[in-house]
Amino acid sequence: MSVNHLGAMNLQSEPGDSELLRSMLAGDEEALALLYRRRQGSVYRFALQMSGSKPMAEDVTQEVFLFLMREGHVFDPARGSLSAFLLGVARNHVLRRMRVDQFMTPIGDDDDDEAVFVATGTDLRPLDDLARAETIELVRRAVLSLPPKYREVVVLCELQDVSYGEAAEILGCAIGTVRSRLHRARALLLAKLRPAEQIDDESSASLKSARCFA
Amino acid sequence: MNSQRFDEETLTSSLKLLAGEMATLNAPPEIEQKLREAMRARAVVRPFPKRRVGYWVAAGIAAALLIAVSVVALRPRTDKPNQTTARQTDQPAVKEERSVEVPKILEPEPEQEPQKQIARNPVRPGKRRVPHSEVANHVTREIATDFMPLGYVNPTTFQDGGQVVRIELPRSALVNFGLPMNMERYHEKVKADVLIGSDGLAHAIRFVQ
Repeated sequence: MSVNHLGAMNLQSEPGDSELLRSMLAGDEEALALLYRRRQGSVYRFALQMSGSKPMAEDVTQEVFLFLMREGHVFDPARGSLSAFLLGVARNHVLRRMRVDQFMTPIGDDDDDEAVFVATGTDLRPLDDLARAETIELVRRAVLSLPPKYREVVVLCELQDVSYGEAAEILGCAIGTVRSRLHRARALLLAKLRPAEQIDDESSASLKSARCFA
Repeated sequence: MNSQRFDEETLTSSLKLLAGEMATLNAPPEIEQKLREAMRARAVVRPFPKRRVGYWVAAGIAAALLIAVSVVALRPRTDKPNQTTARQTDQPAVKEERSVEVPKILEPEPEQEPQKQIARNPVRPGKRRVPHSEVANHVTREIATDFMPLGYVNPTTFQDGGQVVRIELPRSALVNFGLPMNMERYHEKVKADVLIGSDGLAHAIRFVQ
């Protein structure tokens, strides 16, 4: 499919993922660009939420689309959407990278990894923004501390807003498994977040008592 | 938020908050550029876009070559026994005249007892001398009658060993031994194995098809 043909299709209607994939496999660079712009966000975010590392997320995104260029013909539309296919490939890459990286010790501070979220302090309530950013960071760390099989379910179903069916397709398991893992993951998250709250309560209580004595 | 109790609802809202915060994150534009470059490089390196078809064509050619080579490699094996039999049939061409006379000289006797002894025993020395591959080919390809004695034979004759010689006889020789003959093929010759004792005389014969 040529660029002009894609342009003409854009005037009529947006080409589907399968159509773009076919064109891309035939060597159409514009089809690759369109497909990439359409699907890179979810792949990148999934990798970032799973790994907590920006460089890894970037690498995984690139590897996923390189894989699509190389082995795109293995995608079968009858088995699911291209989005699910890409997330499945991304999952495999992330898990592989995490298995390798678990034996490595990071050298020095990586500020990029920590600065994943930028607080949106555009309104005039800086304390609220601070609390909000703090909560986000707290939840993010809790999600990252989950075992991978629970983390991926939380990332897909809670953060990426993927349906249970599609998540099952991506993870290669039954819908019931997705549900049970999600239930277990939420319980783990609550267990991880509650002690922090209690510790905070205790510290604030001790602070109050110290003030009283002061 | 820390002052709030983390229950299910709070967790859900916190996760939504996190999801909303990350919804705007995208991969850096350099990746798209790298992918474009990779695609261009790939287009230059690989002139055939349908890699799978090329792969299967190559696999088909390789398979065809393999079959051809194996057929060629196996052919001499099947031909060898024919060559050896041809050699054998060529060699006793001189003997043929001599051995053809054997049935005339030695009339088969109607006694059953020695016939059994000869039919069992004489095969052994012959078998020992024939290579295994040839024996195997004979077994698989040829049908032979039992050895028929050419006159009275003393079993002690074969204590010193004997020899089986492949000869060709006129098809009419079958009739001499009481075997049926196809009249339409009367002009063809028939193969026979003659058991020659250590005394140099033909003692038994069998017909081979």
